Amino acid sequence: MERQELPSKERLPAPAQEGEPASTQETLQPPPTGAGSQYLKTTGVVVLCSLVAWPLSLHANPSDLVMVYLLGVVFVATRYSRTAAILASLLSVATFDYFFVPPIFAFTPSDSAYIPVLAAMLIVGLVISALSERIRHQADLVRLREQRTQALYCLSRDFARMREVNELIKSAVKHIREIFDCRAVVLLPNSSGQLAVPEGSEPAFILSVQQMNVAQQTFESHKVIVPEAKTLMPSACFCLPLVGAESTVGVLVLNPKSIRKLMAAEQRDLLETFVNQTALALERAALSDLAERAQLEVETEKMRNALLSSVSHDLRTPLSAITGAASSLMEDGATMSTDTLKELSQSIYQESARLNRLVRNLLDMTRLESGAIKVKKDWYSLEELIGGALTRLEKRLRSHKVVLDIKSDLPLIKLDDVLIDQVLVNLLDNAVKYSPAESEIQIRAWTENRWLIVEVANTGSSVAPGEEEKIFEKFFRGKVESTAFGAGLGLTICRGIIEAHGGKIWAAHKEEATASFCFTLPIEAEAPTIELEDLEQSVVT
Amino acid sequence: MEPEREILVVEDEPEIRRFLRVSLTNHGFKVLEATKGGEGLKLASDYKPDLIILDLGLPDMDGTEVARQIREWSQIPILILSARGEEQDKVLALELGADDYLTKPFGILELLARIKVALRHADRATQEEEDPIFSLGDLRVDLTLRTVTVKGQIVHLTPTEYKLLSVLIKAAGKVVTQQQLLREVWGPGYAKETQYLRVYMGQLRQKLEEDPARPRYLITEPGVGCRLRME
Repeated sequence: MERQELPSKERLPAPAQEGEPASTQETLQPPPTGAGSQYLKTTGVVVLCSLVAWPLSLHANPSDLVMVYLLGVVFVATRYSRTAAILASLLSVATFDYFFVPPIFAFTPSDSAYIPVLAAMLIVGLVISALSERIRHQADLVRLREQRTQALYCLSRDFARMREVNELIKSAVKHIREIFDCRAVVLLPNSSGQLAVPEGSEPAFILSVQQMNVAQQTFESHKVIVPEAKTLMPSACFCLPLVGAESTVGVLVLNPKSIRKLMAAEQRDLLETFVNQTALALERAALSDLAERAQLEVETEKMRNALLSSVSHDLRTPLSAITGAASSLMEDGATMSTDTLKELSQSIYQESARLNRLVRNLLDMTRLESGAIKVKKDWYSLEELIGGALTRLEKRLRSHKVVLDIKSDLPLIKLDDVLIDQVLVNLLDNAVKYSPAESEIQIRAWTENRWLIVEVANTGSSVAPGEEEKIFEKFFRGKVESTAFGAGLGLTICRGIIEAHGGKIWAAHKEEATASFCFTLPIEAEAPTIELEDLEQSVVT
Repeated sequence: MEPEREILVVEDEPEIRRFLRVSLTNHGFKVLEATKGGEGLKLASDYKPDLIILDLGLPDMDGTEVARQIREWSQIPILILSARGEEQDKVLALELGADDYLTKPFGILELLARIKVALRHADRATQEEEDPIFSLGDLRVDLTLRTVTVKGQIVHLTPTEYKLLSVLIKAAGKVVTQQQLLREVWGPGYAKETQYLRVYMGQLRQKLEEDPARPRYLITEPGVGCRLRME
């Protein structure tokens, strides 16, 4: 992945504190676990070498004992710091000279031939120190790079599968906390350009007004504002601008445990990369949000057009009938026969009822879509609701034969009675609309596992294969042209209501010329138990 | 001949007022009209009508508030007119003392049936003694002997079932909200325990209705309450 460098002026501030400036070397030093103990151990190693060399000196040439000391130097160089290795080299040369080079127990060699040996020993020792130091440094570097790559990989992997701004923020904050050991808050601008904690995300800490001001300045200047020396206290915060490819998308506020550790060069580079990645990911999410919204607008526009054409037709038809009938009554009512009067009035009444159903559906659809409908659940018996719906639709159902198969052991269930009643009414209404008079409408209800299932089926029409899903879409009407009235909203409303209850609704496959709609409702909990009375204790006979 | 009954219509929509005025006058009622809540309250106290038809969506004040203020001094039956989706307001108005409701749009038959029931209840309240026998279709309830028969056959009810039935009979034809039923039958602590109502309504239907799955008398009105339907 391309790594964006911040312009030099936006680089993170170097720590302004006592001691030498942080350098790569410094961060790579093994943890300073007591330099004194290292030197002590180094001395110990040299002493050990001397003890090993002493018995050997009886048989070997003193020059050969140099190897024992060099072994010691190698040991020290690989384990301890470079200073310790140099110390080991010097000590080795001194000890060897003192104990093994004649005259023994004196530093000045009697034979000048030993001088090159001692010099070579010192040089080899120093070279070994330098080399092992370099190897270790490289190994450390590799390990560190590995860690960085791993951390970056995790971050970009997380970012790649996230699209939600809040998810991204959560992930970035989590990674920063793990890697840099500091709490972080991401601030994004609201519509008026004021930074704020984005809705739905929980900040790791609450920012003071002053901190918010610094963050706002950071956001507006796109620059890191170097905190004053005295604010570099343990509780201090850093504000880093999140600079994306096109603009600054927000501000990252860091509250590190140790500013010094955070500002060490290696960490600083990694932090910069993290900040860049986060900025790019946030920018990408914002852009895709924008694209989605644009897409949605296009679709809404399409929908609006479909609605307009469908609704204007469906509204106009009954209105024409009503206007016509009413004007006839007004003009000629006095001279009409009772039969004509009745027929015209009936026409007005029926067409108004149609209009009412359409308007009701349109309103319900709008309210469902805008989220204005709140599901208010309470304990209900489905049998009671079905009974209620049947009673209310009595007149419309008179032309059909309704067959009920409701299992007697249905439990009470939590639901919104007004909404589920609407679903039942819509399904029954459809069944009447799409089936011939005198045909059968079946209502079945049973339980399966933790689900309550209700089926409304009618004969005489069926859902065309391949349209099982489409019929739940807005303004969709079955292929078979029918004179049936409605804007194709009934099933869409049903689906909205059932899904708001955590259930499903679908068109089931049945034999030819049968349309069947099923919906499920989850049985979330047992109804609270009720103590039932015995008839024996009854006072009513 | 009966004395002419007076109905006060509090409704801001002129066309609905016109429909009510024409239809109700045609059915022998005298109609008073108010377009606002305040005006309605004044007319109600000045003329003491026999019944008030009250729209919930008034321009100057909430219909529920009008109902509450009327109930402070009078038991005149109040019929609420409301749009669909205003279940909460409807229930609130009923709890505040309104007698019944109609959802717009409604037909004249529905309206007349509601008026008839409301007026009958108002008349009964002024009478000293009540008819001890209640009968509806095949159902006969002797309120003094506490016996219930369907098609002449005695039906055994538990005390709670009987209490629930008697509350519904007392309000026969009128809607009773869930909370009212729970409070009256089980006590004030049970106003939220709707499962009791569900179970006992189910049992009453099983015992009293010919086809419990398609009740004729014990009707549930979603979002509002229950009604013992008079035919």
